[in-house]
Amino acid sequence: MTRKSYCRAALVGALLLSSWGCSQMGLQTSNTSSGAHSEGEIQLDVKKYTLKNGLRLLVYENQKLPIFSYYTFFDVGGRHEGEGTTGATHFLEHMMFKGAKKYGPRMFDSMIEGNGGMTNAYTNFDNTVYYESLPIESKDINMVEKIIDMEADRMQHLALEPTAFEKERQVVLEERKMRYENSPQGQLYLTLMQEVFKGTPYGGSVIGSKQDLLNLNRDQVMSYFKKFYTPDNAIIVVAGAVNAEDVYELVKDKFGDISPSSQEIQTYRKSRDDNELYKHRAKYGRHIKIHSPQSKNPMFMLAYPGNAIGTREGFVRDILGSIIGQGESSYLNQKFVVGKRPLFTSVGAHNYTLKYNGVFWVSGELLRGKSLERSKRTLLNEMARVCERAINERTLQKTKNQYLVGYVKEIETNRGVAHFLGMRENFFGDYSYYNKELEIYNSITVDEVKKSCRDLVGDKNYIFVSSWNKNPKKK
Amino acid sequence: MKRTLLFVGLFLFAGQIQAKGFPAGKVQKLKWQNLDVIYLEDDRFPTYDINIYFADGALSEGRVKGLTDAAFSYLDLGTRRFSRQDISSNLEFFGAEYGGRVTHEYASYHISGLAKDIVPTMKKICHLFQDATFPDRELKKEKKRILDSLDNIESNPGALASRAFREISLQNTPYSYPAEGKKSDIKKWNSKLLKGKLSYFNNEVKKRIYLTGPKSVLNIEKVITNECGWKGQGQFQRAVSYKAPSEIKRPRITLIPLKGANQAQVRIGRFLNEEVIKEEELMSLSAHYLGGGFTSRLMRVLRVENGLTYGVGAFAGGQKQYGRSGVSTSTKVESLETLLLKTKETLEKAASGKIEDANLLRAQGSLAGSYPFGFESNSAYLAQLSYLDHKGVDYSELFKFPERVRSFSKEEVSQKIKDIFTWNEQDIIIVGPKKLSSMLKKMGDLRILPLKKFL
Repeated sequence: MTRKSYCRAALVGALLLSSWGCSQMGLQTSNTSSGAHSEGEIQLDVKKYTLKNGLRLLVYENQKLPIFSYYTFFDVGGRHEGEGTTGATHFLEHMMFKGAKKYGPRMFDSMIEGNGGMTNAYTNFDNTVYYESLPIESKDINMVEKIIDMEADRMQHLALEPTAFEKERQVVLEERKMRYENSPQGQLYLTLMQEVFKGTPYGGSVIGSKQDLLNLNRDQVMSYFKKFYTPDNAIIVVAGAVNAEDVYELVKDKFGDISPSSQEIQTYRKSRDDNELYKHRAKYGRHIKIHSPQSKNPMFMLAYPGNAIGTREGFVRDILGSIIGQGESSYLNQKFVVGKRPLFTSVGAHNYTLKYNGVFWVSGELLRGKSLERSKRTLLNEMARVCERAINERTLQKTKNQYLVGYVKEIETNRGVAHFLGMRENFFGDYSYYNKELEIYNSITVDEVKKSCRDLVGDKNYIFVSSWNKNPKKK
Repeated sequence: MKRTLLFVGLFLFAGQIQAKGFPAGKVQKLKWQNLDVIYLEDDRFPTYDINIYFADGALSEGRVKGLTDAAFSYLDLGTRRFSRQDISSNLEFFGAEYGGRVTHEYASYHISGLAKDIVPTMKKICHLFQDATFPDRELKKEKKRILDSLDNIESNPGALASRAFREISLQNTPYSYPAEGKKSDIKKWNSKLLKGKLSYFNNEVKKRIYLTGPKSVLNIEKVITNECGWKGQGQFQRAVSYKAPSEIKRPRITLIPLKGANQAQVRIGRFLNEEVIKEEELMSLSAHYLGGGFTSRLMRVLRVENGLTYGVGAFAGGQKQYGRSGVSTSTKVESLETLLLKTKETLEKAASGKIEDANLLRAQGSLAGSYPFGFESNSAYLAQLSYLDHKGVDYSELFKFPERVRSFSKEEVSQKIKDIFTWNEQDIIIVGPKKLSSMLKKMGDLRILPLKKFL
């Protein structure tokens, strides 16, 4: 059991459909723990290419082992869905493994796994990301070439075969049961997101409502595919024992003739990028109670309106979240879990930054016998004091040190590097944005974190969600 | 700094491997006084990983269980010099991650962080090993926290199913009881017992250090030998003598009722004796054929063809003296019977020799071809070496894995599946609503056990 592991700030908001936590992003710092440390930069030698149809390609050569990872980022997620079609993007992600024109049913994963590779995908509110990791060569097949061919096939000619579509509907419903219906934490998270982002494109759910999932039809999912799975809406990242020029030539050959989106579709997509749509409209100062028969101890999430990714305030609150709620020495852990009078079995704070907005939350589980209402009041009172008590030079520097370790660990594998680069290219249009991040993180001061903290908790703009078997059955 | 290179053969061998692109050439076996150290050099990153292996685990315990796990987990509750807060604040300031892992056969402690901070970090870790006092006040809080978390295990039906599965499938062996103990044990833990346990591991148990990072990390030699006091003096290695339980003749089904669940968690598996686990590659391939990846037979049948589950996996693996096999999945309550019947059908088909060449080739390609990924991260590579050392197997075996996996015939795989996954010899554990009992009675010997039995 490793008790000390940090969940670093969700700088590049990657709370996936499949995850319960935050992304592992980090930074290089100039002055770390034991004094002198040469100021460093993240040096990743990346080649970037853009095809005429808008497809972006990033290649990172790493000859350490005869393997590579291949990522495709599509700029589409739960935020692009509307009423009645929640879950469509994620459903489509499942169907992308069900066959296309050249590589029919079962050929995609068979080719990959049969040659020692793995493949999977995830969907969140902003992106859909597909990934494969493979040996460079297998049974005399050039696997880089093969993957590029297969990915180009499914980007153009997805089958959405009706029988497979119906089977997959059941699979997604099972996933929904596993992640949310039978998980008090899942229920908390779904409710929190829907309440905080009510009235915005983030106010649906990536997994989809049960009713929408039952009603979704092939035409609706195909419509998403046509609108969003186009080269101008995609980024490919390849990391491993490859030659960048060779990869570029192969990608150009297989993807170069795919048409970009029509003007009409581009306009539609842009219409979903209007900042105005994403402004917080939630009603705050509320306690939402979920009846969960499987939660004997109350669990809770206390949410505050957050910030979009890439904003300075978003970076500052990454640090704030880490200072107050990441690791055993963090303020809230010391106060409520390991302190003199513990209230919770666990507690954490997270800053989840999405492309156009964000949410900051504190989550935890109460110790047996502790009153939910009283604990809530105690927590809220403590949040009013946390800004002055928790944030100082040492806790700020500690956070920067932790981010640095996290970052290095992230780029230890091809998969890590590919994801790291793709996320930045996708959100900032610049794969090397990490250097800007470094600058920002390094420039953040104690006063700035304190001010941000006071702004966050000062207005009592919170939503408290609890999940407990003693909560009333109806809201 | 005295570093004795012991295993020249490894270098020579590794040279061949490196020619194929594998990074084994940097593995060195060192001796720090009498302490074995396995070092994997890597200058690419300014970080390190250390894994300290102890050749005994939860089997060292007497009447009160879970003490080893607690001793390793709660090292940082306080020492005579430092409070709990001092310790976590100091180590986390360095960006260090640290923690213990205890199995029945062995224990380990892992530390990672920035290479430039390895010396002060390890000094602190050594201080914890030498001076942890497990203060009663802190221990009391931790015990309450664990007990409350266990009481809330219903909130994670998958974890509950896995916990019960382990205990049931290994019953009548020394490995059945949870290494972390049960509620009744936790209540008995105290500072004196934990200090005694830690002292035993410090002084009597054989240790090995697995280390990766730039060369500068070797500077911890003196810290380890002087401040941890580990010089290779402890030589005890756990070995047990026990009688393997007799095989069952009908599936033994256990239902653990879970109020309000609309999904059933399913675990199917059994204990594997020392003879069965000797053929490790064949065992891995057999389990992989059934439930490894999206293209495995169970995944194809249960998920792709029938939409019964989100995921299914199968495994068969061994430690030094025992092993376990299992199938893990879940399904909605209404389709549990179908899922169980389809699973049974799939296992029986494979055990009776009905294995298609293409499917076996794919499983072999998948398992053998994924082999280089085990070397991608240094910590994963070291974990493999530690596992081989624990089992007393030469490192060269690691590099034979792909060829061996590709060499097995259909008949061998089918026979191994029959040995391991014969339906009538399985324990089947279901976590779900009580109403499932009438259906489950039809499928084998059913017993209904409350979840508290496993806490």
